[in-house]
Amino acid sequence: MSDKGDIETEVITEATSILEDENCEPTKNFESVDQSAKSESKSEPVASTRKRPESKPSSDLETSDVLPVQTSQAAGKETVSKDVPHTGWGYWGSWGKSLLSSASATVATVGQGISNVIEKAETSLGIPSPSEISSEVQYATGETSAKENENSSPMSGPFGVFSTISTAVQSTGKSVISGGLDALEFIGKKTMDVIAEGDPGFKRTKGLMNRTSTLSQVLREAKEKEEQWTTNEVTMETDKKTHYGLLFDEFQGLSHLEALEMLSRESEIKVKSILNSLSGEELETLKCELEQLKEAFSLAEFCEEEEEEKKGDEDFTKEITEVFSQLHVSSKPEKLTRARNTACEWIRTSLAKPLEEKEEGKKQLEAEKIEQINNNSIEDIHAFAIRSLAELTACSIELFHKTAALVLHGRKQEVTAIERSRALSQMTVVLCKELSSLSKEFTTCLTTAGVKEKADVLNPLITAVFLEASNSASYIQDAFQLLLPVLEISLIENKTELPEA
Amino acid sequence: MTYAYLFKYIIIGDTGVGKSCLLLQFTDKRFQPVHDLTIGVEFGARMVNIDGKQIKLQIWDTAGQESFRSITRSYYRGAAGALLVYDITRRETFNHLTSWLEDARQHSSSNMVIMLIGNKSDLESRRDVKREEGEAFAREHGLIFMETSAKTACNVEEAFINTAKEIYRKIQQGLFDVHNEANGIKIGPQQCISTSVGPSASQRSSRDMGSDSGCC
Repeated sequence: MSDKGDIETEVITEATSILEDENCEPTKNFESVDQSAKSESKSEPVASTRKRPESKPSSDLETSDVLPVQTSQAAGKETVSKDVPHTGWGYWGSWGKSLLSSASATVATVGQGISNVIEKAETSLGIPSPSEISSEVQYATGETSAKENENSSPMSGPFGVFSTISTAVQSTGKSVISGGLDALEFIGKKTMDVIAEGDPGFKRTKGLMNRTSTLSQVLREAKEKEEQWTTNEVTMETDKKTHYGLLFDEFQGLSHLEALEMLSRESEIKVKSILNSLSGEELETLKCELEQLKEAFSLAEFCEEEEEEKKGDEDFTKEITEVFSQLHVSSKPEKLTRARNTACEWIRTSLAKPLEEKEEGKKQLEAEKIEQINNNSIEDIHAFAIRSLAELTACSIELFHKTAALVLHGRKQEVTAIERSRALSQMTVVLCKELSSLSKEFTTCLTTAGVKEKADVLNPLITAVFLEASNSASYIQDAFQLLLPVLEISLIENKTELPEA
Repeated sequence: MTYAYLFKYIIIGDTGVGKSCLLLQFTDKRFQPVHDLTIGVEFGARMVNIDGKQIKLQIWDTAGQESFRSITRSYYRGAAGALLVYDITRRETFNHLTSWLEDARQHSSSNMVIMLIGNKSDLESRRDVKREEGEAFAREHGLIFMETSAKTACNVEEAFINTAKEIYRKIQQGLFDVHNEANGIKIGPQQCISTSVGPSASQRSSRDMGSDSGCC
């Protein structure tokens, strides 16, 4: 038990320390959020490292997953009044999710293996497996209310400890807001593990992601599970509106991905058969050239820290159009830029009012004012954020698919395959950065609109936005990789002037 | 939202015969006289009801240009239904049917249901291919046949739905292995297919197939 405690603290402190790093790069609009997060995160690690859950709690919990149950109790005591219902997934989900997201942010920065830390987090904090959750929630909530009823005295003994832990978790969750997801979004497929914990669709798909299954298969599977879950357990329309997988499919992202995979696979087969037909020097030269192409696909730029912070609004459109034009294909990324600009416009109008009013309202009854002013509830913002992310990702994948089709279609080439690869690589970076920046803005909207909300209401929404953003970035990067065989065959055909098969 | 089955369709045929317009009419119920050339493939989806079952049609609208031919072939795989479209005002689009059909047969499941469509039936005065010719071609090659107008929406609905009915009939006859995704059929979430076999329903739907004359 005690060594578990050690690991746990490690995770939390790591998380908080990068948060501070991230806070160093200021985000213009959110100074106030930053500061509050900063002050919290500075005090928390001390609190959480000071005490350990050394003794086994005296209560009658027989499960080995003692910790989460108690933490929930503690969290319940601390933040939730008796009459707030702890609904199954939401409550537990939020807790687990916010921890996981901060843990994964840590990983990306520190450079550890994510599964490692997730594992750590899981073992140390005893995050229950999804299947255990529902039963435990009932148990935990029952416990909580019972304890609260019989015991009105201030928290004592182990509960004090747990409450500090949960605050630390909550504050790390919050400071992810200010820090952003720069790191998290680039971890690619490994995010699957994180997503699996938080997403009802993905969690059952965990483990499916192996060599034999294609990305769209995994996605489709997850979407179907989600659909099933939706019909079985979720009846509210609003919940359906926030299912990333369903929305992604609605925007035809899944179809474009499947089509891109088909082109990719066919190209791969062709490349292999051509390589098989060659020998000697010819083969070596070709292999060498293909190797160069592969290098252009390795996304080295992702590892480097981004120098510039977010730029003006117009820049994305300009940048993506410019990069795209380097591909020399007869298509334009208009659909994507339109979708992105709609999202930005929405954010701008959403942020404009509350921010202004907040300034002048500060001296007065701030909470009341904000309540009145906010047209968009945090649920609205969350739904729009998820929808935008799904749409932008679908558009990005469509763009990659169209590019693949046009590359395969084109006969005369003004640009080499390597040049195209570099442009595509750059495009991937631009797209992922944009998703990151958008998710940051969405969470700013959320924190602005949700100042009055309790952390366990707000945090899961924030975490969900970040998770889906990192999710989106993974899909985009995977889609990008699917273009490699396409460019390989294009290189070969251009070189050897093979007639189209 | 939920569906019993999902069918993958492809729409194929020469450029300019109205493939994208047929899709737009079917999914959005509107007509766009000027349409951009399709690059590779575009998508549309719609839910239809066959014998009380919700079926989701996932439609792949392929590029018709000859130069895209080798690319669009890649998309055929795993289609349960195909709409093979020609333009009744341009004979050459009819003449190319054999080559399209060969392609379709070669690159997709042998069970794929193919609906032959003579589009632009609203342009009767410019007709270049007789209705009987289309019917004969369909009979000869075992296709279903309809004349449609994406402009007036005549028979568009029917073309897509009759194809779905035929696929559904084949499923009930056990000709399609619904568990094999290569057949272009997916079972919707929470469906229990073992109970869905009903011969009476299949007979009814097969009888419906013939009544396609309608407005054209």
